[in-house]
Order: sequence, then C-alpha cells, then structure tokens
Amino acid sequence: MRKITFKIQRFDGQESWIQEYTLDHQPGKTILWALIQIKETLDPSLNFTASCRHAICGACAVRVNGQATLACETPLDKMLKRWESDTLILEPLQNFKLIRDLVVDWEPKAERLAELKPWLMPKDEFNKESGCRQSPEDFKKINKNSDCILCGCCASECNKLSGNNSDFLEPFVFTKAQRFVADSRDKNPVERLSAAINHGAWKCQHCQECVTKCPKGLSPAEDISNLRQEAIAKGLVEHSGVRHAKAFLDDIQKTGRLNEGMMAVKTDGLVKSIGNIPFALRLMSKGKLNPAHMFPKPIKEVAEVRAIILAVKESEKARNIANAKRSEAHTNPDIQRPKEAAK
Amino acid sequence: MLKFDILVIGSGGSGMQAALVASSQQGLNVALMSKVFPTRSATCCAQGGTNAVLKNADPTDTIEKHTFDTVKGSDFLGDQDAIEFFCEHMPETIRELDYYGVPFSRLESGTIAQRPFGGQSAPRTCYSSDKVGSVILHTLYEQCLKNGVNVLVEWLLLDLVVENDRVTGVVAMDMKTGEIQPIMAKTVVLATGGAGRMYWLRTTNPFASTGDGMAAALRAGVALKDPEFVQFHPTGLAGTGILMSEACRGEGGYLLNNQGERFMKRYAPEKLELATRDLVSQAIEIEIKEGRGFGEGMQAYVQLDLRHLGREKILERLPQIRDLAITFEGIDPIDQPIPIRPSCHYSMGGIDVTDYRTCGTDLKGLYATGECACLSIHGANRLGGNSTADVVLFGKVAGKAAAEAAKTLDFGSEQKVNELVRQWENSFSSTVARTDGPSVASIRDRLSETMWYNVGVFRKESEMKKATQIIDELIAEYKKCVVGDPSKIYNTAFVQYTELGNLLLVAKAVVMGALNRKESRGSHKREDYMNRDDENFLKHTIISKQGSQYKLSYRPVVVTKYQPVERKY
Repeated sequence: MRKITFKIQRFDGQESWIQEYTLDHQPGKTILWALIQIKETLDPSLNFTASCRHAICGACAVRVNGQATLACETPLDKMLKRWESDTLILEPLQNFKLIRDLVVDWEPKAERLAELKPWLMPKDEFNKESGCRQSPEDFKKINKNSDCILCGCCASECNKLSGNNSDFLEPFVFTKAQRFVADSRDKNPVERLSAAINHGAWKCQHCQECVTKCPKGLSPAEDISNLRQEAIAKGLVEHSGVRHAKAFLDDIQKTGRLNEGMMAVKTDGLVKSIGNIPFALRLMSKGKLNPAHMFPKPIKEVAEVRAIILAVKESEKARNIANAKRSEAHTNPDIQRPKEAAK
Repeated sequence: MLKFDILVIGSGGSGMQAALVASSQQGLNVALMSKVFPTRSATCCAQGGTNAVLKNADPTDTIEKHTFDTVKGSDFLGDQDAIEFFCEHMPETIRELDYYGVPFSRLESGTIAQRPFGGQSAPRTCYSSDKVGSVILHTLYEQCLKNGVNVLVEWLLLDLVVENDRVTGVVAMDMKTGEIQPIMAKTVVLATGGAGRMYWLRTTNPFASTGDGMAAALRAGVALKDPEFVQFHPTGLAGTGILMSEACRGEGGYLLNNQGERFMKRYAPEKLELATRDLVSQAIEIEIKEGRGFGEGMQAYVQLDLRHLGREKILERLPQIRDLAITFEGIDPIDQPIPIRPSCHYSMGGIDVTDYRTCGTDLKGLYATGECACLSIHGANRLGGNSTADVVLFGKVAGKAAAEAAKTLDFGSEQKVNELVRQWENSFSSTVARTDGPSVASIRDRLSETMWYNVGVFRKESEMKKATQIIDELIAEYKKCVVGDPSKIYNTAFVQYTELGNLLLVAKAVVMGALNRKESRGSHKREDYMNRDDENFLKHTIISKQGSQYKLSYRPVVVTKYQPVERKY
C-alpha cells in the first residue's frame, strides 16, 4: 500500500514542533480530507479550521510545501505529482498570529482591513428606501473583486508583509479597497485611494505571489497597480512612489533603458539621496550598479519603445472617454437610454 | 463579567443584520458572538439568489403572487400571516442591501437583475452571478466594520441561562483561550443556523451547521417547531453533497436519467425541472430506486445537464458552479453532464418563534431568527431564494425587537450564570480526561447513516422506529465518548464533541416529529402515508424537552386567504 507522509507544524500556544503522520494513499482526495483523516483516525489533538468544504468560506487556508492554498479544493494527488514526493509539509499561514497548530488569528486582520474603510459610501442621489442604480458594465467592474473570501492566502505569501508589515497592508485589503474605488455607486473613491497610498500602495514589490496564490483567481497586485494609477489620475501625486514611477517612464521613453543611478535622486530628491551614497557604493562593489551607466545612450530600437508607450497612452485615453460616457448615461436618469426607449 | 444589553449569537446574514440594527440604537451595548470568523458563516454557501417583488424583470409580479407561491411551496403548512408580512417587507430589505453595497447583477436599466427560480410564478430572485450568499455576508460584515459592531470571534455557545422564566445570559467558551465564560445579557438573539450536519456527508451544509442554538433552546425549555421538515436539495454533487445552485435549473438546466430522458416531465409536466425542491428530490430518488439512475447504493446519481446553455452563458451566469464541478467531480459542465443527488440542505423547522413581528419565543428575552428559527414561513418546503430573504429581513426584525425589549429589562443575577459556568468547567475537565470509549466521529457517522437511510427523502414507520432506538443508544454512548485532546487552547476536538451533542438532541426531535406525522407533506414524504392529510395534520408539530423526555404537541396553522388545495406544478 502506498503511504503518504504529512509533516505538520504543531503549536500548543508555547512550543512549536513538527509532527509526522502517515496515511494510506487514496486517489481523488483533497488536502482537507487528509487533515480530517489524521484528526479522526490518528490524532484528535491536531487543530485546523474548515467549514464549507467548497472554497467559499475561506476557513481552511494552509501552506502546503510552502505555498498557501485552500485545503478543501486542493487535490492531494496534484500536490504529490507537483512535488514528486509522497511527503508533504503542512504549515499555518505566514504573516498571521498563530493560535494553535494550523489555526491563525483573524481578529488583528479585521482591524487592518478597516483601515481602508471597505464599505460602500453611497452617492447622495441614492437612498436606503429606493436603493441604487448601476449599469451591467459597472457591475462587471466590481463583480470579480467581490469574489474575495478573506482566506488569507495572499497575505501568507506576500514578501512585502514578511519583510515589514508596519508600512503595508495585506493584499486582500487593497483588493477590497479597489472594489469600492471601482464601484459606480460610491461617492468617495478618493478617501480610499489616499488611505491606500498612506498604507503602502507604493510599497508593493510586484512579486506576484498574491496573484498566483489567490484561490478565486483575483489579482491583488494588479489591484494595487490600479489604485496607484487611479490615485495619480485623482491628483494624489505628492509621493516618492509617483516620482519613482514617473522617473522610470521618463528614462524608458528617453533611452529605452533605466538610469539606476539617477533614479534615487529623481525619486527621493538630492538631499535624501546623498544619505544613500554608502549604499550605492556597496552596490557598486558587488557589481550591482555600474557607474558607467550613469549617462546611458539610447538603445537602437528606442523609436519602437516610444511608439509602444504612445499606443498604450492612446488606448487608455479612449477607454477612459468611453467609461465616462457610459457611467454618465447610467447615473443621470434624464438621459434616454436607446435600448429602453426601444422597448 | 461580560455584560451586554443585547447578545446576538451567530454571525451569518441574520445575526449580523440583528447586531447592526440593535447597535444602531443609541445607548445600547451590543455584542455579536460567533464560533467562526463572521465571513465563514453558512450564509456564504447560498448561491442562486434572494426573492423580492421588485418587478424589475417582470412588471406583472405582485406581493400576492410571492405570498401565494410561498404558501403553495410550503404545502400550506406555512403561517399565512407571517408569509404576508415576509413578502411585503422583502422589497425594501433588498433595496437597503443595495444601499449597503451588495454587488447585485444588473439589468440594462441599472436595476437589480432577477432570475426565475423553482416554484415561483415570476422571475423575482435577485442575484449576484451565482454567489449571492457570499456577497451579502461580506457586505454585512463590511457594515459591521463600519459601525464598529463588537464581535466575539470564535466563542462557542454552550448553554442559555434561564432564571425566573426569562433568559439572563449564556455560558460560552472563548475558543482561543479555552476559558468558559459567563456572559450576562438582557436579551439574546439566536441566529445560529441549521442542523444539516446530522446527515454529515450527504448535506450541502458547512461543518458549522450543527444546530447549536436549536439544542440550547431545547435544553432551556424552549420548543422546536416542525423539526421533521428537512429540505433535501435536488442537486448536490454525487460524491460530496456540495451544492449545485438551483440557478442551474433556473437558467434552463435539464435533469436526465440513464435513458437520457428529462424525467421531470412525468412528475411536473408544467414546471418540469423548476418544480419545488421537495418534488424534484423525490422524483430523483424514485428514478434511482426504479433503476433509472447511474451507479449504485450511496454512489447512485442522475445527471444535471447544462451543455445546451452554451459556454458563454455558463461562464457568465454560473462560473462558480462550473469551478465546483471541475474541482470536486472532475467534470466541466460545458462538455459533460454533472452527476448529482439530493442532499440535506435546509431545516424548515427550528426554534418555535411565537410572534413573527418580533421573532420572539415563549421564553422572555429570547429571540430566534434565520435557519435556526421557525416562524413559520417555509412550512413543509422552502422555496429557493426564500432563505437568504428570510435571513436578511427577520434578522432586522429580531434585532429591533431585542433592542426594544432590552430597554425595559434589567440584568439577571450573576449567581445562576456562574453556577452554570462551574458545571461546564467540571464537565470539560471530566470529558477531556476520558481515554476509553467511542470516538466522536464514530457516533457522528452512525447518526448520519441512520438519518440518511431511515429519515431521508422517503420515510416509513418501521425505519423511523429503528432510527429512534439507534439515536437513543447514541445519546447514551455519547456520554462516554472520548474527545482525545485535554488542551484548553483552541480545542476543536472538544468543539466537535459539543456540536455532536447538539446534533443528537435535534435529530431526536426530527425523528419524533416525522414518526408522528402520519401524512406526506412537502419535504416529509411517507411511503406508508402517501397523501397529505389536512383533516388531521394541517398543524405545526411542537416538540419540547423536559429532562431526557421529549414532549409532543400540535398547534394550528394560520390560514388567512388561501385555503389548502392540491399542489401541482
């Protein structure tokens, strides 16, 4: 009989240890099945949370071989095949306070979630008695991000949070914020945008771990990008992140390559950059920064690069105009909608 | 000691609505207590939609139609005054949810989209793709964050405290520390959900649906009403019982037997697949019994075919359904039919609410709402889309009434609640110390097998008598069962032990109600009494518990406009 070994991180409130459990292999099962089997047949003292068992309640997120996933929908055989091993390591989510074994504490996360005011602030034209109006197109803009189930997979694997969580929030918090910024019923996107900027929207490291871990197929990293763009569009530009992005674009437009030496000066200003000189020297000594690249020549294909940038800008402009027209048509009841008039 | 004017227990749609309404009143100290983080509650499992007469998709829809559809759907066991109240107040409740931010799907006009659902004469089910429960639950949680509602996260209800014929608080376990805590409250709202896990693997319910509030009410001397009415959803995935929304049929899905026949035409020639859930479930089980299903025994199933809807419609309207079928059955509904079988879905019965205008019970200060309560608006069979509706409306009703009542009440004595805490502490110590006896899982599995085979879609006297006997045996064995974890911190083994005790108490009431209802009505289908018997059974079952004895009585159904007629679809 094929045996599967699970090395599970245990925690009793004080001590942490790894405990091994072995189950007979059964085809077509899930990680949650394995956890339940272990608890019911081998060790009732193993603790984890789970409820709906079909990826909608978000209770059963754990790490399998260092990757956060929902235990209920993760096929055991797929994991065994992916890791080419009959031993799997199960751990609690990272970046959470641990309670016991695989159980983590969500209460502190609720407080952090509230920082970005993730609730609808309905426009003044709407009221409780008659509800709101929203076009199908505008609904589509919030439909996807409404799929977030607060499972915490994105937060567990976020490299920025692991490095320093004092100036950044969990990726799902930004996804939730973006859902309200994009909601045509909401009157106050700027408040959420400025909160997002103040809570680290420019600190995302673009590692895309949150995107690859989300069991609902959401893209928190893309939401963070959207929040940044939206913030710039709304005039929230007094931020080193904005200067950094702008310097980046300027460089690419000018020469087709980055001027890393000047990037710090453009982002943080001369005074702050001087303080970073020892850091720059250390980079140089390790070959990470080449002083000869301080004044780069344009690359051969710079015209093509510029054409790409221009094309992106044009298409964005066209999209913005179309969106503005559409949402105007749906918030202003005086504008006759041709489809309805035809009925 | 923790003291609240209003304590709401259960953080699903109904509990959060109750807590939101109660805490919107000045000067009241409200807490919401839940054994799970709020967004894990069972409301998140609702997929298809929420019924309200908004007339968006059909301008000819009326409150009267919704009322009649619900009365008829209930097989005339629903109280018609409560149903009228329910249908009348649903439209404003949905509009309020829209204002709270629920992302409803939309029509071109910008109004909330509505789809057809089983047993209804108009498309009135407001939806959000196929995840309405999840988005309602998350929106209400957002409102709780906004309003700073005090939430006791991961606290397990152990018992209600009753003194001088009123509820004065609860005993609860703070799961994170394992401390058993007294909580004083002037009024208590139970919103603890259903008890579907008594059918364990043949249920669409989450692990948390273990009838904690129903059992606590029974122990506190409050009766259950109509517990025998258990809804089996026709389309649970064959292997796991996971829900395939009624929206699958609402959007036009077919049910096929092994002859490739749309067999519903023989059972409900007009409504076909969109007949009510009780009728469709019974039809599927007959097909299986008569050899027209696929597979055998517990593995038998029929097919839900969505292929003719086309890729685009499936991706737009039923994306979650498709993901679930792929993940849990390895089948893409775009290319293949889905294997399905009825699964326990909903408890129509529940804590006996004696005033639908307040959700009050016979015990002063105690209110019940949502699936744990029985008003009764669902009677013998709930219509799809009426549960999330029930939840969001009556949560408000209960919260408001509990707040009003709290203003006129004082706290009870600390002595009684402390005494009960000590009892539970002793019980915890002696229970977790046991090392010899049956396991929690073994008793639970025998309970669920007994319920599925003897008190399932079809029922008869001999089988239910057997079930009664087995459940009594299991209740006796439960007292000796082994938890296997002596630790206090987040002891899920002890939580599951407590939950099993609750399931056993409620299951006993389900069987008692079913055995004594010698007729077939709605979800309660007796092979030995095939027809409805209005003369003898147009009445609610009322079951209460005194010591270890259960007491059975009946109460007339409230009929206002609609005299019972034969139900055809």
